[in-house]
Amino acid sequence: MKKILISIVAIASIAVLPLAAQAQTSQTWNEKSAELTKVLETKGDPERGAAAFVPCQGCHRSDAMGKSSGAYPRLAGQHASVLLKQMTDIRSGLRNNPKMEEYVEDHLAKPENMADIAAYVSALPIVEDKVGRGPGTAIQAGKTLFERDCVQCHGNNGEGDAQKFYPMVAAQHYRYLLRELHYIRDGDRGNSNPDMVKVVKPYREADLEALADYMSSLPPPKK
Amino acid sequence: MKIAEFKSLSATPRGYRIGMTARLAALLLGFGMAGLAHAQDAQTTAATVCAACHGADGNSLAPMFPTLAGLQENYIVKQLNDFMSGKRKNDMMSPIAAQLKPEDVQPLAAYFSKQKRARGTSTNRMAASAGKVLYNQGNDETGVPACIGCHQPKGAGSEGASGLQNYTYPKLANQQIDYIKSQLKNFATGERSNDPNRFMRVTAKRMTDEEMEEVAQYLAGVGD
Repeated sequence: MKKILISIVAIASIAVLPLAAQAQTSQTWNEKSAELTKVLETKGDPERGAAAFVPCQGCHRSDAMGKSSGAYPRLAGQHASVLLKQMTDIRSGLRNNPKMEEYVEDHLAKPENMADIAAYVSALPIVEDKVGRGPGTAIQAGKTLFERDCVQCHGNNGEGDAQKFYPMVAAQHYRYLLRELHYIRDGDRGNSNPDMVKVVKPYREADLEALADYMSSLPPPKK
Repeated sequence: MKIAEFKSLSATPRGYRIGMTARLAALLLGFGMAGLAHAQDAQTTAATVCAACHGADGNSLAPMFPTLAGLQENYIVKQLNDFMSGKRKNDMMSPIAAQLKPEDVQPLAAYFSKQKRARGTSTNRMAASAGKVLYNQGNDETGVPACIGCHQPKGAGSEGASGLQNYTYPKLANQQIDYIKSQLKNFATGERSNDPNRFMRVTAKRMTDEEMEEVAQYLAGVGD
């Protein structure tokens, strides 16, 4: 009897513990919302996506390369899953982005619009000339940090991981990377992976700059 | 073809209804010039109903009235339909649109879209050059997107590709300064609300009066 009771407790704790651990992180980071699940299942059409992307061009530009000012990220070549996650997170308010949120409330209300845009944008080439690079003075320091803290998720070449919603960070604009690193470190982004927050928490200003300098200097990874 | 003849008959500018007998008679007579009839109707309507404000060839002479010449057909159709249904309202235009018949819309839109748009002039060079920057780059700080994203280089506008989820972005080049400003204002306050997905309402709300003036000045003198 005692044995049975022990095993029940053991099974129960095995079942409950991971759930409890997950509950802390899932809401804030990578739990698939109903909308994200839906758009991931929706097959996107790049041709329709090109038309649906037109209103996005005012900020992300006609080649989806964003702006080197850092105000708007490069989207071209980004993983479709990452684009979809960020779009749904901004729509739900999980990711804090009031500039974009107002524009996508209606425009991205249809799941097929999001799927189409992601299919179109993820297939666009990365125009290296248009990447806003950092000053280039801290690339080596950035490389050291990147190889110590970032490669496990973002990959050796900054290619990210589509399956896990880790973005491709290579060839992203320096100023955008720097802005987001600040947001993530200081808790202003909203949908940060808590594991990453822990990693960058102790980073000083110079570390963030070095990291952004290095990532922006990475060439677009081969797909 | 017969149906089209019908429509062209009832699409007269004065808006009178032709009785059933007359329609049958017309059918029996069978005049096979429906296309021409359309064109004449639209031109007559343009000359009698629209010209006073928009100019007979769609080039407006008064700053507050929009130039229609060269505006995309799809866009004119949408605006006329919106005026007729009340989705877009204007003290001057709404009562006039109320006199139009649904059949008038397409031929009028086709007529004005085919007219050549005259070159405009900006009245403030400084403002126009600031407007050019805003038009092409937006305002990163306040989140005003660059107008070029939808309205294309030099305000050329773009035609929605048929069959795709898409919108027609109106041609803005050489448009009247006061008209552009008034529409931006109306979008900002929400008085005009027939923009798809609130794109223009959100955008205009982020613009300052100065920016509205600048972008209007740029577009008025943008040339071809």
